[in-house]
Amino acid sequence: MREIIISELTQAWQDLVRGFAHYLPRLIVMLIIALVGWLVAYLLKVVVRGILRLTKFSKLSENAGATQLLNQAALPSSTELLSRLVFWVAWVGFILLGVSVLGIVGLQEYISRFFLFLPRLFAALIILFFGSLAAGFFSRAALLAAVNANFRSSRLLSISIRIIISIFALSMVFEVLGLAEQTMLIAFAIVFGAVMLGLAIAFGVGGKDLAREFLERKLPKDKKDEKEDELSPL
Amino acid sequence: MILTDDFLRQLINVGEVDILVGLPTHNHADSIKPVLGGVQAGILKCFPRERVVIINADAGSQDGTPELVTGASIDDVWTASKVYALRTLHAISTQYARTPEPGTALRTILAAGDLLRAKACVLVSPDSTTIEPDWLQHLVAPIYRDGFDLVSPIYRRQKFEGVLMRNLLYPMTRAIYGYGIREPYAPEFAISGRLATDFLGKEVWNDEWGRIGAEFYLTITAITGKYRICQSFLGTKTQPGQSASDVVAAMRRTVGALFSSLDIHFPVWSTVVGSQPVPTFGAQSEVMPESTHINRKRLREMFATGVSQLDPVFRSILSASTLSELQRIATLELGEFSYPAEVWARTVFEFASSFHKSVISRDHIVQALVPLYRGRTLSFLLENRDGGGDDIEKSVESVCGEFEALKPYLLEIWADQK
Amino acid sequence: MPLTREAGWYKNAIIYQVHVRTFSDSNGDGVGDFQGLAQRLDYVRELGVNAIWLMPFFPSPLRDDGYDISDYKSVHPSYGTLEDFKTFLSIAHDNDIRVIIEMVANHTSDQHPWFLESRSSRDNPKRDWYVWSDTDTRYRGARIIFLDTEMSNWAWDPVSKSYYWHRFFSHQPDLNYDNPAVQEEIWNVMKFWLDLGVDGFRLDAVPYLIEREGTSCENLQETHEVVRGLRRKVDEHYPHTILLAEANQWPADLRPYFGDGDEFHMAFHFPLMPRMFMGLRLEDRKPITEILQQTPEIPPSCQWCLFLRNHDELTLEMVTDMERDYMYDFYARDTTMRLNLGIRRRLAPLLDNDRRRIELMNGILMSLPGTPIIYYGDEIGMGDNIYLGDRNGVRTPMQWSGGWNGGFSNADPESLYSPLILNPVYGYPAVNVLSQKRTEHSLLSWMQHTIRIRRSTPVFGSGSIQFLYPANHRVLAYVRQWNEETVLVVNNLSNSAQAVELDLRPYKGNILIEMFGRNIFPRIGDLPYLLTMGPYQFYWFRLRRI
Repeated sequence: MREIIISELTQAWQDLVRGFAHYLPRLIVMLIIALVGWLVAYLLKVVVRGILRLTKFSKLSENAGATQLLNQAALPSSTELLSRLVFWVAWVGFILLGVSVLGIVGLQEYISRFFLFLPRLFAALIILFFGSLAAGFFSRAALLAAVNANFRSSRLLSISIRIIISIFALSMVFEVLGLAEQTMLIAFAIVFGAVMLGLAIAFGVGGKDLAREFLERKLPKDKKDEKEDELSPL
Repeated sequence: MILTDDFLRQLINVGEVDILVGLPTHNHADSIKPVLGGVQAGILKCFPRERVVIINADAGSQDGTPELVTGASIDDVWTASKVYALRTLHAISTQYARTPEPGTALRTILAAGDLLRAKACVLVSPDSTTIEPDWLQHLVAPIYRDGFDLVSPIYRRQKFEGVLMRNLLYPMTRAIYGYGIREPYAPEFAISGRLATDFLGKEVWNDEWGRIGAEFYLTITAITGKYRICQSFLGTKTQPGQSASDVVAAMRRTVGALFSSLDIHFPVWSTVVGSQPVPTFGAQSEVMPESTHINRKRLREMFATGVSQLDPVFRSILSASTLSELQRIATLELGEFSYPAEVWARTVFEFASSFHKSVISRDHIVQALVPLYRGRTLSFLLENRDGGGDDIEKSVESVCGEFEALKPYLLEIWADQK
Repeated sequence: MPLTREAGWYKNAIIYQVHVRTFSDSNGDGVGDFQGLAQRLDYVRELGVNAIWLMPFFPSPLRDDGYDISDYKSVHPSYGTLEDFKTFLSIAHDNDIRVIIEMVANHTSDQHPWFLESRSSRDNPKRDWYVWSDTDTRYRGARIIFLDTEMSNWAWDPVSKSYYWHRFFSHQPDLNYDNPAVQEEIWNVMKFWLDLGVDGFRLDAVPYLIEREGTSCENLQETHEVVRGLRRKVDEHYPHTILLAEANQWPADLRPYFGDGDEFHMAFHFPLMPRMFMGLRLEDRKPITEILQQTPEIPPSCQWCLFLRNHDELTLEMVTDMERDYMYDFYARDTTMRLNLGIRRRLAPLLDNDRRRIELMNGILMSLPGTPIIYYGDEIGMGDNIYLGDRNGVRTPMQWSGGWNGGFSNADPESLYSPLILNPVYGYPAVNVLSQKRTEHSLLSWMQHTIRIRRSTPVFGSGSIQFLYPANHRVLAYVRQWNEETVLVVNNLSNSAQAVELDLRPYKGNILIEMFGRNIFPRIGDLPYLLTMGPYQFYWFRLRRI
């Protein structure tokens, strides 16, 4: 019995060592590929950054309004962002190439599924990006309008709008990613029914002035307070 | 196309003119008659020999305003009018948009003036029911007689009227561009044909802030283009009906345009040091005793609320020291409230710098200034509540001094990429 | 022999105003005369006019260029004899030219035998032939007309030791029309000339015939009665002889001088004339259309006389102060040009010798309703001499050629009654009839052509007028109609090209035929009729429905 156990253990150990010895070169190759990939990606980043600076890409992006958006989202400049993107795409590509060298069948399938998933991921990231921008923008717009109209619960209004838009964006993200679609959709529909979202979107997009007037008409005001309005700023 | 076919046809009939009087309107039937009367009387009294046209740029009035304007024509079709005029006086109207767009109205009027080769273009506000016939003389004569290109008005004002003008627009324009123009944004002004043609060709019409604050841009163009500028005392300024929302709109038209202009004209203003007075015809200023009751408690409340509620916004715009100073001021009771001119100037400059860097939406930056402006208004009121016209003048002068003294600070934070 | 006259001949007349003294000197004494004038009647006929208005040629001390008459029934010796006049009249009629002479009815020279008698004593039978007073305080309401020279309407007579009334120069005492004998004698004077065959009278200074205390002594009812009396006699004994009123008044005040067709046949439209110049300078039709809108209707048998310039100053009495200042500033900047609330300049210098403006003004003159009067010399664009006294600057010798004395006279140049215009622009070597006759495109040729066209249709003289009011105020446009004939007149008062849209819908379907070139213009439809016009251009279009 002891010999069988030892023999099996020895066999298993040998299998492990054999397996390790079989995969080690591939692992080393994968690491080498990853390292080379990092170097190549870094070089590419430098080259791309240089080209973008030479062609004054930052000016183009400023004119297109992208710089502002990035500033507001506390992201680095467009030149930097693009060159970093090139770096990551290149390096991830090399890493995946390296992983494919390992020859693990299931892994390869996962890798190809991962690549198929990437466009959705990008779309989701974009939706998330713009969603957060929109949430920030509209909530701030509502906050400012409410404060300037002397609305008492301006912070609450602003936060509510941010939450609703964020939920809206998140639900779109989940839908795009295909995760718990139905659940998110239903949950969102409930919230979506709220009038506040419709007002917030309308306020933020089309009828800034109308919305402001609406707020001022609807909010309770002390008639005496209006005497302050007799002071003309100009 | 700025000019419609129908308007063009009317302009052909008018032909070359010496003076163009522009009237932008939108549902001004209540106030337009005395304004037209004043303009007509001014033309007949002061410029009977000149070829004059009244051009109304209307934004789709529903109350018959354009018809009232065109009714001011004086021609040879026999009427019972007792008015005697040497010449035909054309009063024509065009609808430039469906809703008021001040920049487009101005552009329409200037385009007409350019086509008609007007030597002088005068803009008159349709709300100025206090207009007197001599106003035209005061506005046009410096252009005609002395070759000036921009005549900016000076008004007789109530004590606490025009706080934004006196505490921000005037001091900042003076500090930044070096010209002491008291009303850099005014409902009435006159420009030479030369300046009008030049301004019409500028890129300002393609810029959102340029369109909103075209009148202000005009003043800046005159300054940076080294045109000859002067001021002329008119009389009492009429204030149209106000509502709180007008403060925000006023801020956009003026402060937004001013901040936006800093980007374009940086090479000019960054080298200007100090300021020079502008030639003035008539009084430099006239102040009438204050007659309105102002709700100071509400002003203080709006300031304090603004400072607290907009804290996350202010963090993107203001420096830590300025913000903490404002937070301290927000805790002051009414009796001891003070928003010093130096802090105010610093606030405005930090806003300008943030506007330049677009730290958040530029429109939001302008809106965020409103509660702080209210705080400054309160402080100005309290400082000068017992003062007369001279005291107000000194106070405004001191604000100007602070702005000028802090200009190097603006230059420093402007370049700072943080 | 007298010319056969038809009723209303004056409506289609074109009158040439001339002073015998200025026109042509036949005997070498330096002064024009009737023989010289008679010799030049060919020219007048070729010009195309069909009537001459002669300025005073009567014996006179000539202190007011003949308007101070000392003998109503003779001819000043400088101008010839009565026989010379008769010869001239005969030749004029042979050339189909009617002759209108002056009748200075309001006053005489203080050298006239009537006045010499009147002043000789308070008991003289002719004492009441003039207006006498022991004081100079009567008739305070009357204005002084010759402001530059007279301080009062009364003058002191040292002979009879009393004051006499004079509305003009002090050497021109006013006749007293309250005296029937005066009226009778004036009629005798008129009869004298009518018997010789003259075709009409221009009655000078008509508004001032009668004085009454407490009035302005102008346009009084009694004055009209005097005129009506004269008209009755003229109609009865010398039908179709015209009476032309010289009354510098507002249109509404002029209207009574036509009566019900029983006073004057014609009257000068004084207020229109300065407004034509004003409209041209302003580049705005308003002054012209406004005065014509204020002009009342006149009896069908009556006619306005229109003119651009004459022997007097361009009068600015019938304009507002603002208008007068404007005219002074733009037409008489040099104060030497100003006289008695007027401007003493000829047509061409007033218009800066601009051929286009001269043509335009003459075009308007010929196309507005009325009988046009052309002042001698204006048809060739003669200049003036503002340094001659009074109004003599516009009464210089006619310029016939570039030769000796401009062809006016063979006398020594120094002996001429007036110096010739000598400057290089308007002087006789540059501006004269002979040179202009040789050029097809001269002003003279143009005037002849225009007069011919004007006379080719009665619509201008007899037709109605309907103003169009295009939105372009620089264009003066009107439609003249007479019976079936319709003419559209469009004038560009501006120095620059203009586009104008005319509402011609009432004339829809007509084609336009331009009367100078006789070319066809598009048919009138429903849309506004668009015309583009060059600087100071004018069109006369005959409308035809084909």
